[in-house]
Amino acid sequence: MDLTRAELLEAYRKLRRIRSFEDKLGELVVAGKMGGFMHLYAGEEAVAVGVCTQLGDKDTVTSTHRGHGHCIAKGVEIAGMMAELFGRATGVCKGKGGSMHIADIERGMLGANGIVGAGIPLATGAALTARIKRTGGVAVAFFGDGATNQGAFHESLNMAANWKLPALYVIENNGFGEFTPTEFVVPVKDIAVRADSYAMKSLIADGMDFFDVYAKAAEALAYCRSGRGPVLLECKTYRFAGHFVGDTLVYRDKEEAEDWIQNRDPLQNFETQVLEASLVEAEALRRIDLEVQEEIAAAVESAEAAPWPDVAETETDVYVEDGG
Amino acid sequence: MSRKLSLGMAVNEALRIAMETDPDVILMGEDVAGGGDRKGDDVDEMGGVLGTTRGLVKAFPDRVLDTPISEMGILGTAVGAAATGLRPVVELMFIDFLGTCLDPLLNQAAKLRYMFGGNARVPLTVRTVTGAGMQAAAQHSQSLYWITAGIPGLKTVIPSNPADAKGLLLSAIRDDNPVVFCEAKLVLGVSGEVPEGDYEVPIGKAKLVRGGNDVSLIGFGGTLPICLQAAEQLASDGIEADVLDLRSLQPLDEDAILATLTRTGRVVIVDESTPRSSVASDVAALCVDRGFDSLDAPVKRVMAPHSPVPFSRVLEQAFLPSAARVVEAVRSQV
Amino acid sequence: MAGIAVVMPRLGMTMEEGTVLEWPVAVGARVEKGAVLLVIETEKAETEIEAVVAGTLRHVYAESGTTLACGALLAALTENPEEAFDADAFSGSYLPPEGARSVASPAPAGRPVTQAEVAVSDAPGRRPVAPAARALARKLGLVLDRIAGTGPNGRLIRSDVEAYAAARERLVSVEDGVGLELLREGAGDPVVLLPGFGSDLSSFALLTPFVSGRFETIGIHPRGVGSSDAPAADVYPLDQAAADAAAVLSGPSHLVGASLGAAVALEVAFRTPERVRSLTLITPFVEVSARLAAFTKSWCQLAAELSPEHMASFLAPWLFGEALLADDAACSRTLRGLTRAVLRVSPATLERSRAGMLAWSGSRTGDLARLSVPTLVLAAGADLLTPDAERIAAAIPGAALEVFPDCGHALAIEAADGVARCLLAHLAAGRAPARRPG
Repeated sequence: MDLTRAELLEAYRKLRRIRSFEDKLGELVVAGKMGGFMHLYAGEEAVAVGVCTQLGDKDTVTSTHRGHGHCIAKGVEIAGMMAELFGRATGVCKGKGGSMHIADIERGMLGANGIVGAGIPLATGAALTARIKRTGGVAVAFFGDGATNQGAFHESLNMAANWKLPALYVIENNGFGEFTPTEFVVPVKDIAVRADSYAMKSLIADGMDFFDVYAKAAEALAYCRSGRGPVLLECKTYRFAGHFVGDTLVYRDKEEAEDWIQNRDPLQNFETQVLEASLVEAEALRRIDLEVQEEIAAAVESAEAAPWPDVAETETDVYVEDGG
Repeated sequence: MSRKLSLGMAVNEALRIAMETDPDVILMGEDVAGGGDRKGDDVDEMGGVLGTTRGLVKAFPDRVLDTPISEMGILGTAVGAAATGLRPVVELMFIDFLGTCLDPLLNQAAKLRYMFGGNARVPLTVRTVTGAGMQAAAQHSQSLYWITAGIPGLKTVIPSNPADAKGLLLSAIRDDNPVVFCEAKLVLGVSGEVPEGDYEVPIGKAKLVRGGNDVSLIGFGGTLPICLQAAEQLASDGIEADVLDLRSLQPLDEDAILATLTRTGRVVIVDESTPRSSVASDVAALCVDRGFDSLDAPVKRVMAPHSPVPFSRVLEQAFLPSAARVVEAVRSQV
Repeated sequence: MAGIAVVMPRLGMTMEEGTVLEWPVAVGARVEKGAVLLVIETEKAETEIEAVVAGTLRHVYAESGTTLACGALLAALTENPEEAFDADAFSGSYLPPEGARSVASPAPAGRPVTQAEVAVSDAPGRRPVAPAARALARKLGLVLDRIAGTGPNGRLIRSDVEAYAAARERLVSVEDGVGLELLREGAGDPVVLLPGFGSDLSSFALLTPFVSGRFETIGIHPRGVGSSDAPAADVYPLDQAAADAAAVLSGPSHLVGASLGAAVALEVAFRTPERVRSLTLITPFVEVSARLAAFTKSWCQLAAELSPEHMASFLAPWLFGEALLADDAACSRTLRGLTRAVLRVSPATLERSRAGMLAWSGSRTGDLARLSVPTLVLAAGADLLTPDAERIAAAIPGAALEVFPDCGHALAIEAADGVARCLLAHLAAGRAPARRPG
């Protein structure tokens, strides 16, 4: 692993930022301070951070309904995200998008997406742009195991493989499609094998291990950037919270969940590994914990104080007004 | 200078100009290159099922992309490409296939800009063939532009003649919004004078193509010739009709509709689609809502029945609006 | 016309109806704002009702002793005494305010109301009015029910209102500021056309082109017909109609009258012979036959009930001869014209004209012998309504007579070219031709 100490600390900061952000949202929703459907990313942080740490601004990302982690990992400001989730005028989407539609085009974040699987062709299109405009960029689609059962997934993989597009398709296989265990609806153990149908390279990573995700993503991205075509990367991970805040979780085995949460937490996993290898010291991590906590508290405070959107905004941004 | 071209060939010319003037314009779709060899041998490509894109792959080998038969994948990919800097022109062979790929238009192209608080542009053009008239039956003959016209964030245009087709398509491609460009079968093969060179027809502007003060016939795409034919028949009976070509279904040129209504007091809307939730119903509502005090007669719609498009030539002709039905509607008004 | 409605007020939440006791202000008198306008009695007490605006009391619809529901129209004011005002039209267009309750007792409380009970009865037949016509009439301050509709199903359309408004522009003032509509055509010596009972000038439409080439034809729409004013009255007397006609004559004129119009022409000739150069009396009468009285009574009764199309169908057998009725094309063409014509005369006008006609009946029988004006009488051989034409011709000194065998009463429509030929000859000669048809 060739990460510097600073890079490791930055990676940890992102992992922690996602975790704290999501924990805070859970509190705010339960307290009735925040509305809408809220799908939390806690537990899957290593996937977003392991991949996005290796992306630049010319690389693009599409995300899912469970998208806060990808946004934060891709560098979207959390103050703007928090304001968006509060529905304020200062939100990154002016309060028009909400949890499922956070985007930051300039940072290559093409948006969370409320439609399962819909981000996959969008990333394919972004990869097509990169190919035709020769930007050298890669497009990364994050999506869950559920999305791999959509036609959009198969159509996109076929096209991308056929055109050898620089696209990385990242499956976050968290074991559940909404409330249904993946094994109930998918006859293969490793979804990554679906790449074989399209003569596409595939990899499998431990989605709870930042370093494994990082390594497999590095290999995949190098492959994509070399012009050899797309890669399907399956990350085996786990959703700590339910499908959404308020999910009663009756469908999942408590012991199994406890095992994932207590013994395979990606943040704990990261900490153990960097401490054991003496790459960073515990105090530095605790300091980051505190800084992130303050950062999130400040984001909540500023978001709650921010103005509501003007109702006239209901009808703006429907079209590019100077576009025709 | 101008010369006669079919609507399809006017579209071809617009595509060539758009690609010549903007390296970001790409074509995608089933058979748009169509088997033509990009390496320069003499194999002549199909250029789409109706030959509309013939010759373009040779001129722009890297920017004319044959796709698999994957409408969801094509549209979704095009939306992603548009959001990241290309100007894709997708051919959705028939608008009926919207059933396989509505999400990229409905939930992606139409909504990205809004959901992202104005922080996105999706300069996508979807060319698609609409309507009946070729005995293509129920799954290849529908006039589903009412669906796209009803989705905020999309624009929908439908030319009635080759000259408008060329100018409207150039406008559509250069528009930073997603535009659905409908090529109505009833006028696809009809030839007309088309100006040379690069010009645009503004989206959202209807065109008064015939003046008369007794009744307003409002049509678009394939129903425009029907309106003109009806107007001729009416004129021989001393009834002079305004004929308004909407050209754009969204944005809708409400001012032009109200202007003709104010002049004549009578409106007949001729629309090839089925009547429920239709463009014609929408225009009728506009006339009653904002034009009520100008109405001298009930607003009439001449449309298809609420049924699938039939195959048999006899049934298909009965299904389609006709000049005789337009004349009959006018007679009930005067 | 900006009439101001005086309605039965609602004095307190429980009041449903009231009785008019007294009108202290006379019709035509001015009343100031705040002055007592009427006295009503409610279940509780006598109450003086004050005028809420100043104006002139133009018409009282509810005489003393009448009990009416709250919101019902009692009387009408206008701001200015000279303002044109049509009492019938005003009451016809008056709509009780929303919330005006009927006097029927409400359903007992506490019992569920069934769908059958809340179902409304069919809306009363209403003439279709195009929104454009309604809007234009509102803008011009015109009352719609005086305007004939020429659209499908008699729909009143914008051009009808425009035509009516243009006609109103042409009104000529006669006695009391009443405006009469004149239709002028051509140039030359004046020929004045006077239509018959219940008819407008369209009854001369086939005749006019023959005449207007050489004469100025001046058609007069009498009170209540076409766009002419229809002042409220129980009766439109014949002498008033004659005075109206005389008032519009610019100099000595040839008068052409049909039926009741002929009676008016005769009356003008008796009263102001110096203004009459000749008379042409088409199917005239001086005494109303029992049949004519009965026929016009049916007409009045049915006019309020029937559609214009059905009204025309009712009239046709009375007005036309066998030949026309047997010719389907001619008959349906004539019926269409008649349909438009009957729309131009309101039921109230029919009643008033009929009352005038009955009052006049027989009053001039003895005077015919002293008539000194050159006169042509045109009689119809199959006239069911005015069989005395030939007797009238015989009674008028020097009068010529033309009889159109087999024709019905509405001769000017049924035999327009024959009537025109006789009329032109009569006008040219200054007297009637002496010969009689074969």
